[in-house]
Amino acid sequence: MEIAVIGDHEFVLGFRLAGVRKTYTAETEEKLTATITRALDDGTIGILVLQSRDMNRIPRRLQATLENSVKPTVIAVGGEAGGMTMRERIKRSVGVDLWK
Amino acid sequence: MALRDIKPTRSELINLKRRIALSERGYKILKMKRDGLIIEFFKVLEEAKDSKSELAEKYERAIQMIAFADTVEGSIGVKSAALSVHEVPNIALASKNIMGVVVPEIESSKVKKNLVDRGYGLLGTTSAIDEAASAYEDLVESIIESAEIETTMKKLLDEIESTKRRVNALEFKVIPELTEARDFIKMRLDEMEREELFRLKKIKARNA
Repeated sequence: MEIAVIGDHEFVLGFRLAGVRKTYTAETEEKLTATITRALDDGTIGILVLQSRDMNRIPRRLQATLENSVKPTVIAVGGEAGGMTMRERIKRSVGVDLWK
Repeated sequence: MALRDIKPTRSELINLKRRIALSERGYKILKMKRDGLIIEFFKVLEEAKDSKSELAEKYERAIQMIAFADTVEGSIGVKSAALSVHEVPNIALASKNIMGVVVPEIESSKVKKNLVDRGYGLLGTTSAIDEAASAYEDLVESIIESAEIETTMKKLLDEIESTKRRVNALEFKVIPELTEARDFIKMRLDEMEREELFRLKKIKARNA
């Protein structure tokens, strides 16, 4: 399986340099949503890399789908991801702030 | 369940007792599940913290490097180098089951390549490109690692939360209500028995 990267032009370029072939540029919100949806349906993608900034720009529903997806596994890089941060999540689920 | 909706009959009492036994069994099992999940969660927690900070660090570095390469080579140079990279990092994705939570398990082939395998010409480019490429290879490696850990964390947390809710609902809502209803029926049945006894005595006294 392969890694796929979706993001703006600069973000994607570096990954091409590392050999990632499935890089998609998406600047507008509509394009972003469309590209992500297509990537989710693509069976050959194992890991989907997104920009945290873009995570906040896509619809809530898609965000939730991405968070729960195992195949492909989605990860956001660069700053905190949209929605709840890991710290808040831990606080909510376990009841204690363990992220220190 | 409001108390006035309960019919104080013996069959109802038997039903209730059965339900209480079932709820208590479920409660015990769910409690064990919750504790088990939290133990699993602690196992991943340390790793997750490390991998997250490492990822952030590598991302910063990669961004700097590509900016540098951009300045030295111009964006066309970087792009042409990027387009000529051929070797693709390959990963294998499997899923693993931790107490009913499906989590990904990722294995990858080597992402790091040496200079010659990268595919762009060595003479035509400067070392800035090499640096950027190697920074990004580092980043991709770290992404592969954290993708697995982070998703595992998220899934475990979700499951812990829902299990906790269920445990609490059983402990503080379902079981107390059922016990209350059971006690009510018991009381009512006893009361009816006493009434009956008294009535019999009265009749006996009158007949004598």
